Amino acid sequence: MIIGANIKEAVRSLLSSKQRTVLALIGIVIGIGSVIAMVSIGKIVQEESLRQFKEMGTDVLTIESQFGGGEPSTGGRITRSAPKSKIKLADVLAIPTECPGISAVAPSVRGNGEASYGGKKLQNAGMIGVTESFLGINKLKISQGRFISDLDAHNQFCTIGSMVATEMRTLGSGDVIGKKLRVGQSLYTVVGVTAEVLEGGMRRFQPNETIYVHITSALRSSREAEISEIIARVSTGVTNTVARDQVLAYFKSKTKKSSVRVTSPEEIIAQMEKQMQMFTLLLGAIGSISLIVGGVGVMNVMLVSVSERRREIGIRRALGAKRGDIRGQFLIESIILSLIGGVLGILFGVGASVIISHFAKWHFVLSSGAILLGVGVSNAVGIFFGYYPARQASLLDPIVALKSD
Amino acid sequence: MLRLSEIKKSYHIGPTEVDVLKGVSLNVDKGELISIMGPSGCGKSTLMNIIGLLDRPTSGSFELNDAEVLYTNDDALSDIRNRNIGFVFQQYFLLSKLSALENVELPLMYRDDAAKFTREHSMELLRRVGMADRAGHRPSELSGGQQQRVAIARALVCNPALILADEPTGALDTNVGGEIMELFKELNAEEGITVVIITHDPGIARQCQRVAVMRNGVIVP
Ligand SMILES: Nc1ncnc2c1ncn2[C@@H]1O[C@H](COP(=O)(O)OP(=O)(O)OP(=O)(O)O)[C@@H](O)[C@H]1O
Ligand SMILES: [Mg+2]
Repeated sequence: MIIGANIKEAVRSLLSSKQRTVLALIGIVIGIGSVIAMVSIGKIVQEESLRQFKEMGTDVLTIESQFGGGEPSTGGRITRSAPKSKIKLADVLAIPTECPGISAVAPSVRGNGEASYGGKKLQNAGMIGVTESFLGINKLKISQGRFISDLDAHNQFCTIGSMVATEMRTLGSGDVIGKKLRVGQSLYTVVGVTAEVLEGGMRRFQPNETIYVHITSALRSSREAEISEIIARVSTGVTNTVARDQVLAYFKSKTKKSSVRVTSPEEIIAQMEKQMQMFTLLLGAIGSISLIVGGVGVMNVMLVSVSERRREIGIRRALGAKRGDIRGQFLIESIILSLIGGVLGILFGVGASVIISHFAKWHFVLSSGAILLGVGVSNAVGIFFGYYPARQASLLDPIVALKSD
Repeated sequence: MLRLSEIKKSYHIGPTEVDVLKGVSLNVDKGELISIMGPSGCGKSTLMNIIGLLDRPTSGSFELNDAEVLYTNDDALSDIRNRNIGFVFQQYFLLSKLSALENVELPLMYRDDAAKFTREHSMELLRRVGMADRAGHRPSELSGGQQQRVAIARALVCNPALILADEPTGALDTNVGGEIMELFKELNAEEGITVVIITHDPGIARQCQRVAVMRNGVIVP
């Protein structure tokens, strides 16, 4: 039996019933696509968490103020009526001396108000009030000028992200250093630009789209302004849990009313993995259901193909085809059908994971394992669901097949 | 070459049993050109299918080339059909998606030693049946007589010792039928191929060395 001739005939026969072939393929495409998306997203998330570990280090805690003064671990359900208690800047700056487990802190204040340059609005810019330590803890780099310094408390200076600088230049600023931009009611003079940073990561802000001002300027700018987030670097040789307990105890001693939530990188990654698990579960369910539906579709197409070609089977048997030859012919046809579905499914799945990782701000990586899996699974579907029809065909009695029409 | 004795074949249709062959005994020697005649429904095709190993008898013994045919090994039966028997059917039975040449080559697909047979061999057979200029045509582009010629070339491709033709001229007019018959006679005379032809046409039967007449499931002497 010549495999080549069989493949040629299988393609010919699939082409001669295009509609049916396409309909059968839909299920396979969705099924394989979901499986591919599942695997490649798993891979992407894995790479992503690795990348973030490398980028930020595992020794960084995030401290957030929490409303209502409940236990830190309750997750902080926000109720409007709960009284707000602000964290004092002096308390924050005292953390490294009060808690031996923390080596440095970088508090930040989210500013509000529109940013504009020369009377024109800056589309992608948000203000954050920071201290000098913010740069190092967040592993940011300066590309031009300098960062906000602790001596800038009484200066209306700002350092801007690379995107903000680009936007200012398109508004005709030329060299951005020394230019003034407005946020809300205040004017700030640009003293530096931060280097561009890849999207995503563990930072809770967009480094490229931020206007950094001194924290006291930000606190001064509006009555609502408060320290919303503190990033703390854990001292070497101290575990995250120990440092975290120290911070919690410190805040408890400072005030009865305010409470904070402390998150470590492990928790963020756990959260990310939970998110991924949801995707995986969903895609896995869709994938396996569609694979079964697709497989049944393939089986159906093949059964119809067999019953339409009984006469042909009879002729081939009369000319010397063995049962195995007939079985092989139909198996090859269903495998080719499934493989076509598999290839389309791979494209579909890779496309889906590109889109998902785009929205989740993850870095897309193409995994060759996923592609191999797609080819393998579609092959298996072809064999599994094609075997029954192929066997039916091979068991046809030559004379019965020949006499049928 | 063929030695059939007391071959019986019956079909069950519901509770009733229909005896189609009621004990056929027939010997055909190597190199013979024999025709089988008989009224419609007397069991000629049934007998032919048994001789061609497409069907199995209910009882009786069948020796092919001095060896009792065993029906237990289906693959072996396929092999014998492929290597020793060439079929020519009334309805031609060409595969509509294949060209004339591809149809002729089809039986080679089921041989391990297909490499022995060149494309030139198949073309030569098409030339022999006068169809060389139509090698690339699909069956639907050929007349009935032309299709039957392609079918004969296909029957010859594996160099069979026996050709079984079930009403090969049944769908053709007398002229074309005569030409087909000439081909069979030529193959029989020049290559010594044993040919068994079922026919309703006394003109065809007369050209054979021997005529066996069937009636009601038996061969009448
Ligand atoms: N699969 C079957 N089941 C039941 N009866 C069958 C079957 N095949 C054939 N027969 C019966 O066997 C009988 C002989 O059929 P067969 O085809 O051998 O006749 P024939 O001599 O070739 O006739 P014709 O000259 O018309 O071709 C018929 O009466 C037919 O009804
Ligand atoms: Mg008949």
